[in-house]
Amino acid sequence: MKLELGNFYVKDIQFGEKTQYNNGILTINKNAALSVVKEDEHITEADIVIVKPGDKVRLVPVKEAIEPRHRIGGGPLFPGVTGDLLQAGDGKSHALKGCSVLVVGKHWGGFQDGLIDMSGEGAKYSYYSQLKNIVLVADTDENFEKREQQKKNHALRWAGMRLAEYIGAAVADLQPEEVEVYELPPVTKRSTETSKLPSVVMVLQPQSQMEELGYNDLCYGWDCNRMVPTFMHPNEVLDGAMISGSFMPCSSKWSTYDFQNFPMIKRLYQEHGKTVNFLGVIMSNLNVALEQKQRAAQFVAQMAKSLGADAAIVAEEGYGNPDADFIACIVALEDAGVKTIGLTNECTGRDGASQPLVTLDAKADAIVSCGNVSDLIILPPMETVIGELQALARDGLSGGWDNDTILGPSVREDGSIIMENNAMFCSDQVVGWSTKTMKEF
Amino acid sequence: MKKAILYLNQFFGQIGGEELADHAPEIREGLVGPAMELNKQLGDEVEVTHTIICGDNFMGSRQEEAINTILGFLEGKEFDIFFAGPAFRAGRYGSACGNICKAVQDKFKVPTITSMNDENPGVEMFRKELFIFKGGASAAAMRNDVKAMAQFGLKLIKREELLPAEEEGYFGRGIRKQVWLNPPVVATERVIDMLLKKVHGQPFETELPIPKQDLVPIAKALTAEELSKLEVAVVTSGGIVPVGNPDRIQSASATKWGKYDISKLEDLVKGEFMTIHAGFDPMAANNDPDVIVPLDALRAYEKEGKIGGVYKYFYSTVGTGTTQAEAARMGKEIAAELVEAGVKAVILTST
Repeated sequence: MKLELGNFYVKDIQFGEKTQYNNGILTINKNAALSVVKEDEHITEADIVIVKPGDKVRLVPVKEAIEPRHRIGGGPLFPGVTGDLLQAGDGKSHALKGCSVLVVGKHWGGFQDGLIDMSGEGAKYSYYSQLKNIVLVADTDENFEKREQQKKNHALRWAGMRLAEYIGAAVADLQPEEVEVYELPPVTKRSTETSKLPSVVMVLQPQSQMEELGYNDLCYGWDCNRMVPTFMHPNEVLDGAMISGSFMPCSSKWSTYDFQNFPMIKRLYQEHGKTVNFLGVIMSNLNVALEQKQRAAQFVAQMAKSLGADAAIVAEEGYGNPDADFIACIVALEDAGVKTIGLTNECTGRDGASQPLVTLDAKADAIVSCGNVSDLIILPPMETVIGELQALARDGLSGGWDNDTILGPSVREDGSIIMENNAMFCSDQVVGWSTKTMKEF
Repeated sequence: MKKAILYLNQFFGQIGGEELADHAPEIREGLVGPAMELNKQLGDEVEVTHTIICGDNFMGSRQEEAINTILGFLEGKEFDIFFAGPAFRAGRYGSACGNICKAVQDKFKVPTITSMNDENPGVEMFRKELFIFKGGASAAAMRNDVKAMAQFGLKLIKREELLPAEEEGYFGRGIRKQVWLNPPVVATERVIDMLLKKVHGQPFETELPIPKQDLVPIAKALTAEELSKLEVAVVTSGGIVPVGNPDRIQSASATKWGKYDISKLEDLVKGEFMTIHAGFDPMAANNDPDVIVPLDALRAYEKEGKIGGVYKYFYSTVGTGTTQAEAARMGKEIAAELVEAGVKAVILTST
């Protein structure tokens, strides 16, 4: 399978007559873009705002991030989600780099939504503060979940994907500035030199805790709660086979942008043929029932062993209950003789004194840790808020609260905020960008 | 200028050696022994105003009295930080430094710092609650240990940013916080580095050390035949004690256990026994202590011949907040008594 990602480095984004890309300048016809957003009649209000690094802007509630791309030769960016099924990961796609489509609720947030500061002290928490963002701020008539803490955010998330496709189409017929090639021959058809290297599988545990459909990550449109672990080509993940869900406390979440750019997968590609033989991805999940956890761990270990993996990297999208899947999977792999590295964040509480993962096992002896979901963060007011600041306090964002006897509400009268890292948008970057770690004090 | 006070034992307080370990607490204005070095290391910004001296035995055997006396000395004194030791490898001194630092910290809300060698049992007893610097084995390390305490004390007083325990040099308190690596190293690099080392059998360092689990294999089951001939003892971490708590077992973070004679009792009744455990709603246990120490059921089994009898004492402590190290020590002490008494069957109840 061979994927060619043609990159276009966006230097600036502006509104204009025609949606086009020219010499690093991305121009968006706002009306045309909004009409794509409003193709879904459930979108009741929508606007698009451009925000850039350094802007005095706070975004909340942020629901999703997507990289604008175009699939050369046609077909949906997200097969089985925004269009018919097709094989992702084999062919050419064009990508607008250095920017993302961010989806922000105009009013209502939920458990899974987050916050991004584009400048100031808060900017360091989110990867997306470094990007130029095309922000879709919209509201919907999904009244059934307006006051629910858990929201599917269906209309908004799908509108974001359509918008990313629409913007990506601007580079459909252009020559990319750079082409990244991702190619892995079949597992049994690799050169002797490569086959001699330690072989590694990347095990992904995308979020799938909700029994009800509509909240979990999707794999080619299929709810990850309803699957057993399966072997995938890493290119599929990089090319739109996976989309983010709408369930997990936000700092632990992997956005669709995160899947499209999965740094750990790209890093393994860099090592492939040099230090390791990258076998591919085992796509697992994070279901809640014990038997489902055991089944998934068993499948993963069996698959890794059958593939001849010497080593594995296990990454979990979540904390708390999913820690049981994470540790069970590592233990199953180690028991199968596969040397395993874990990639996760921790929940040690606001005082840092709690047990870092819900379950621990001495066999999980090699873990890279990307942060504490419950770290307390205090930030000054921001000049401009896009969305609604009160959502952080009012709507049950995982890192916000409407009142606390000692700390008061998350949103203070002057617009300053106090929150847990939990509500920072995709901030623990367990996909691999994180420069955070955990230390004992 | 900020003010500091230092605690020393009778030896470093220049009273004398082991023969004077019963020396009662005293406070002196100015500098005694290591206080001079501490004062020097603290520089111009902090002055050591007083030295407190207490014999190790006095603190060990009359702890409450010693602590109350010292807290009394400190009442009304102006001080911004409190030091104790360094205690090196001296066990009783380490425990004394830990106890007094904790009491001072709790009462006066000032930071406290001590220093011990990693083999000092005081480290495990107090590391979760105090800044204990990693000290040398003997007084030869005095200057270095005092310097480490002083430098960190200055940082605390100036409210400077504190680095992780390992970098500062104190024993980690079990508090894990997120930090940005400086210089930044992305997670992907850290994973690949760890992966290659692990695969090639080279040493690597996890970012999430899993606490060592000291699991004891479960003993072989007794047959009904064997059990019918054996006395059964009850040990509990549920805090059941005679009303009045004669051994003053702590309601949380216990370091003491007690044993209570039940040889003449058929049943633990309300008003005679109670729980002092602070980790659960005590109502049910206080209404009927047998829900935690099931003496009534054991007596019934004894009458039916299912067990040979009930051992004359039951053992009790409190499990909530109790450190693994303390729990293990108490467990070993209780087990030693039971083995000595020839007991071969124990029911351990928790709450």
